[in-house]
Amino acid sequence: MENNTNNRLSITPTTIVVAAVYLLVSVVGINWFTTFVPVVFPPQASAEARSVDELFHVLLIIGGIIFFLIQGMLLISVVAFRARRGDQSEGSSSHGNMILEVVWTIIPALVVIFLSVISFNVWSQNTEPKISVNLVDGTPVSINVTGARYAWTHTYETNRTTPEGAPIVINSGNRLHTYIGQNVDLTLRTTDVIHSYWVPAMRVKQDLLPGDLTRGGRPTELRFTPIRIEGETYPAAYPIVCAELCGDGHGLMTGAVVVYEDETQFLEQFYEPAIHAILNPPADPVLRGELVIQEYICNSCHILEPFDDWVGRTGPALDGVADRAADRVPGQSAEEYLVTSVWNASAFVVPGYSDQMANFGPAEMDNYNMSPEELYSIVAYLCTVGEQSDCDNENSTTVIPAAIKTVFGFDVDITFGMDQDESADGETDSEDDGEMSASETSEAASE
Amino acid sequence: MATIAVPLGGQQERQAIEAVRRPALSEYLRWSVDHKIIGVQYGVTALLFFLIGGAMAMAIRLELLTPNLDVMVSGAAYNSMFTMHGTIMIFLFIIPMWAAYGNYVVPLQLGAKDMAFPWLNAFAYWLIPPAGVVMLLGYFVSPAEAGWTSYPPLSTLFSGDGQTLWALGAHLLGLSSIFGSINFIVTILNMRPPEMTLWRMPLLCWAVLATSIIAVMATPFLAGALTLLLLDRMTGTTFFDASGGGDVLLWQNIFWFYSHPAVYIMVLPGMGVLSEVLSIHSRKPVFGYRMVGLSSMAIAIVGFTVWAHHMFTSLQPELRIPFMITSMIIAVPTGIKMFSWLGTIWGGKIHFTSAMLFALGFMSMFVIGGITGVMLAALPFDIHVHDTYFVVSHFHFVLFGGSVFAIYAALYHWFPKVTGRMMNERLGVIHFLFTYFGFLITFFPMHIVGMLGMPRRVAVFDPAFTDMNRLISFAAFVLGFSTFIVFYNIIHSYFRGQIAGANPWRALTLEWATTSPPPVTNFEDDPIPYEDPYGYGTEAASAYLDAVDQAFDGRRPASPGGH
Repeated sequence: MENNTNNRLSITPTTIVVAAVYLLVSVVGINWFTTFVPVVFPPQASAEARSVDELFHVLLIIGGIIFFLIQGMLLISVVAFRARRGDQSEGSSSHGNMILEVVWTIIPALVVIFLSVISFNVWSQNTEPKISVNLVDGTPVSINVTGARYAWTHTYETNRTTPEGAPIVINSGNRLHTYIGQNVDLTLRTTDVIHSYWVPAMRVKQDLLPGDLTRGGRPTELRFTPIRIEGETYPAAYPIVCAELCGDGHGLMTGAVVVYEDETQFLEQFYEPAIHAILNPPADPVLRGELVIQEYICNSCHILEPFDDWVGRTGPALDGVADRAADRVPGQSAEEYLVTSVWNASAFVVPGYSDQMANFGPAEMDNYNMSPEELYSIVAYLCTVGEQSDCDNENSTTVIPAAIKTVFGFDVDITFGMDQDESADGETDSEDDGEMSASETSEAASE
Repeated sequence: MATIAVPLGGQQERQAIEAVRRPALSEYLRWSVDHKIIGVQYGVTALLFFLIGGAMAMAIRLELLTPNLDVMVSGAAYNSMFTMHGTIMIFLFIIPMWAAYGNYVVPLQLGAKDMAFPWLNAFAYWLIPPAGVVMLLGYFVSPAEAGWTSYPPLSTLFSGDGQTLWALGAHLLGLSSIFGSINFIVTILNMRPPEMTLWRMPLLCWAVLATSIIAVMATPFLAGALTLLLLDRMTGTTFFDASGGGDVLLWQNIFWFYSHPAVYIMVLPGMGVLSEVLSIHSRKPVFGYRMVGLSSMAIAIVGFTVWAHHMFTSLQPELRIPFMITSMIIAVPTGIKMFSWLGTIWGGKIHFTSAMLFALGFMSMFVIGGITGVMLAALPFDIHVHDTYFVVSHFHFVLFGGSVFAIYAALYHWFPKVTGRMMNERLGVIHFLFTYFGFLITFFPMHIVGMLGMPRRVAVFDPAFTDMNRLISFAAFVLGFSTFIVFYNIIHSYFRGQIAGANPWRALTLEWATTSPPPVTNFEDDPIPYEDPYGYGTEAASAYLDAVDQAFDGRRPASPGGH
């Protein structure tokens, strides 16, 4: 009885119902799958994102067909060919079918060739070199991204110069500023381990590779072009994420791409104010310190109340730091403690934390190369962070330079080079400017 | 029924149905050159490490219940947790587990009395426990925390001493793998009975042969990479340090030249198991036997040309396209296997044993891993999801939905041969349901989380992904719970299981033509294999199976010609 039917599918009502239901489920299923394409992606904020999503759409349809085909065959098999209770008979003795085997070798081969071709097309379209990149005011600027555990730093080498002729470099911390239609071309470098610069909304990602820093590292390149999203209010911010394991604070290494509606908005809200601030730095050390401290990567390990992008938890919170600065190390004044903590953090490690912080002093790590003037302004600012500061804020212009002189032996030019010299002083932390900053430091020290 | 010569070899000693004669427990705790003892040693060791690695997975999911760091003491502790989870599952669970099945089953399937080099076989096993201990000793210094891929310079200039222990442990495990594989190749090529040509060999042997060839060719590259890493860490060389003229991509290239083929080392034996289990439990020959065997070889060869797709975001852009194409091509031999298995069960008599359920589960889960594999090969899409939860999901579909499901199928299938007792089928079905749905709900949503923007290897993540991660974690706990069911089943069945007899599944391959467990020399005389290892559905095959039953268990043969 069973033997007669066991090598072909018997057409029973069950089989028909299963097949019909299945067909319905597959058609509805594949349609349903594809409606999810926009839902499972972040906003489609770049031209690259558009073509990647289209490619995924094709992959999903083909994958969906294969998925439903195989699961369907499986389902039909287990229903139609299940052994009834007590059935000890054997299945068919068929060993194969040459034609079928050739077919299911050739068709998948054709499918993957097709997929290779369309993927190649999308790839070459997305990576095609663009003629005009990073255009601001009609001329290109270079945008450098530096990854350091655990923060991103973006610097713009602008086409403007200071009155002395030095090019102005804008440091925008962990934010990349761009506008709709700008062909962004980033140069990425890392100062320590491998990081990966990922902007999910742009569908682009590139690893930062450690190179010989004395020869400018091993720059890699990332390109994309922001596009308009309907219903978005500009400027809009999209997350930047580190996608390659870089250590303890890997998950905290984030940033944002700020997209402006057009070049005018970009110039008005970001570019011009930033240049203005560089050309006219506040003479007040506290105000200046508030700007300078944001240009370093302090935010990757610390939190500090007024700044919403300070996310780090690997170091102690800086909120109220001035209130306890005098109590940390016996014999050190609040100013001396703060000065030491920035340039030589290993000297005192707050209980409960590990000795991880880089030394920012000029002689210590040339990656950071903080000038004594910057240190002075940062400490002046930190001395105001708290309820009843331990610092002598009345006399900060003498006490802090004295502390720097005591601890590290550097003299500080508290006028920041008066009103004409070294006006770009606060912008000298990118590697390229390292040497310039060092020479400025020695000039300042020799005065 | 015509008289059919049943080529069984000499008369075997009859086994009393009640008594199962098993080696004493002490045999397993000391040096032994018996491949069956070594097989069990491998298996038990691997399962213990599976428990440790699984516990680490649970700790990882516990941490990911919230977007903040709250369970672990630091990000570094979390990093070491997934580093050790990955390393243990790959090097100390899946690879040794296949060595367990290979050791126990392959010589039996070949009708051999032991492996070709019994002493080397024991040596390869005894490298594993010390290697595992060396790796875990890292917890007494500062555990490895650079991921199982250990990319320099994170693993060289920025890691503690646990990283050195990690590399030493991996070195020993690689050595063990090379010794074991040489042994398998020599055994399979030389110790078959004269009647068994390569094309009459069971497909598990084909898969183990392909796997061993990959392991022998690829593992020395891992050894080389690890040696350079150790030199950089301990003697101040700068192979991977750019400031001394080294190159971080050097590690990535050599490491993946081993570690991509290693994926096939982990999944090809599982594909061999599938061919066995699907054919036997649906009472039908393997569909397209030659193509299934050849596709193992094709996967082994093409598998060596795809490594750099792991480096799509770091490789020079102009080199990415060739690796995209090779990575896509490998879908073709994999597809052949998948369709051949469908052809195998189509028209069969499917018995829903626990082994069969896991084999069917493998097919339905592995196909998802295969589809996402092709998606990941598509370079522009990969750039977006590279190093995200999409990838985590993909390789768990391949290595859990694939390898681990096959390990479970093999466990239910060969446990009776090893212990002489059946595993509890009711518990097996419960285990399957918990595993299947726990697995699916754990890993499928990870695709979506990854595409939405969650990178892998983070303890702190965007709070927008909290709900999805909660769901994933709860499903993961269900999946974790399912492990206890199978461990209980193993222990329970070892003592209380139904007596299996020689050939409980009525299978044609030679391991079933001897007692369960087999005597020390496996067979009393040289056994003669049945002409076709999967020739089910013919009268000759039924007669052969009846004769096996009668020879070993004195069981009355089933009525002639089936029913």
